[in-house]
Amino acid sequence: MRTLNFANRNFKEIIRDPLSLIFAILLPLFLLFIFQQFKIPSEVYQLENFTPGIIIFGFSFITLFTATLIAKDRSTSLLIRLGTSPMKPIEYILGYTLAVIPMVIIQNILFFIVAILLGLTFSINVIYTILITIPISVLFIALGIFIGCITNEKSASGVSSVVVQLVAFTSGMYFSADMVGDFFAKLCNILPFSRCVDITKGILNNNYDKLGENCLILIVYIAVVVFISMLIFRKKMVSDNK
Amino acid sequence: MISIKTNNLTKKYKEKTVVNKLNLEVNKGELFSLLGTNGAGKTTTIKMLTTLILPTDGEITIQDKDIKKQRMQIKEIINISPQETAIAPNLTVQENLEFMAGVYQIKDKKEKIRELIKLFKLEEVLKQKAKTLSGGWQRKLSIAISLINNPEILFLDEPTLGLDVIARRELWNVIEELKGKITIILTTHYMEEAESLSDRVGVMVKGKLITIGTPKELIDKVDAKNFEEAFVKIVTGGEE
Repeated sequence: MRTLNFANRNFKEIIRDPLSLIFAILLPLFLLFIFQQFKIPSEVYQLENFTPGIIIFGFSFITLFTATLIAKDRSTSLLIRLGTSPMKPIEYILGYTLAVIPMVIIQNILFFIVAILLGLTFSINVIYTILITIPISVLFIALGIFIGCITNEKSASGVSSVVVQLVAFTSGMYFSADMVGDFFAKLCNILPFSRCVDITKGILNNNYDKLGENCLILIVYIAVVVFISMLIFRKKMVSDNK
Repeated sequence: MISIKTNNLTKKYKEKTVVNKLNLEVNKGELFSLLGTNGAGKTTTIKMLTTLILPTDGEITIQDKDIKKQRMQIKEIINISPQETAIAPNLTVQENLEFMAGVYQIKDKKEKIRELIKLFKLEEVLKQKAKTLSGGWQRKLSIAISLINNPEILFLDEPTLGLDVIARRELWNVIEELKGKITIILTTHYMEEAESLSDRVGVMVKGKLITIGTPKELIDKVDAKNFEEAFVKIVTGGEE
């Protein structure tokens, strides 16, 4: 119950900040729309490939506003007050995570509505894709928690924009990693973002090639990032009070 | 009955001793003020007493509960209004109260919130977002929130810092109303505030609690004209 109460508060804090909504929803929607107008002759920009990329790109903004919210909470005395309450560290982490998931679902529904209006064929796979992106979003929320813990209110958005850029350039949403050399291809392979796009693309397009491998690697990534975020958060709750 | 007891309470950060073998007893229902210049160790002491940081050495007992072994039970019976206003900025006043009632899982939530709204006269700002309130209202809300769980011990860390004289007087009235009902530990830099509100005062210098007594006792002890002069004499050792 404490977790839900905290999640409810966090959700209200997020949706009442119009900038978060603009970045997390309107910017990716604009990109989805505008790139379809260019009629670029590349597979990457076909709706069934580009929409999954836009979904994962939208998640990078989830990292941004999760980080900002946590950094802001740390900079005010609210976390001091909560630190004296019976709330446990796991309740904070779940509270931040659950608050963002409704945003993830809203984002995805809007992306698909626009994609369908632009010509994407609706199938049951759209629903499956929305469902599979929920666990994927945990990676981005945990990254936001991590960044929110190591930055302050002013630097949180700047540091988070690194994730936005990494997603844009290493996820394969704009261009295939093979096109830009071995080193870059390796980097894309090491980072989890191309796997996020590949899983989403695979589910949407009934292409299950490498799905197991991608899911397994992503699960490991999510587990590690969540674990590190929890550790850092716990540590910060004490060190911020020194 | 003793509400708070510390025994050789010490906090060190590397080689620096911030709180040095502090021995303190605060009675139930008492309003005890912890005074000292900046860096005297008041806020660190409050943070240890409120479970936020662990002592390096020494013991703390809150209502007969050991802070190291019964941390969670202690958290249920204390609350704090920190130095900076601790509220959720994008929530309304009403939502802030509901949120904190949820944190403490208050059973008669509606009744408690109604009671606090009445005590702090929050009716006119209930629907307003906390970030749009004036400093005085924000501070009032912050203190109202700290009473949401009917704490047996309330820590007020410089509650009137930066407030205008009217807002400060209003908060004094609220604190006066709470006196005797719950144990209050107050830190302040306003000597007038400490003198008018406190049952007893403790003065800290460089991490050590150097004297304890009623404001009148401290004035008499150093043969001062008023409480502020007494404080200065105590802190400087009469070498002002």
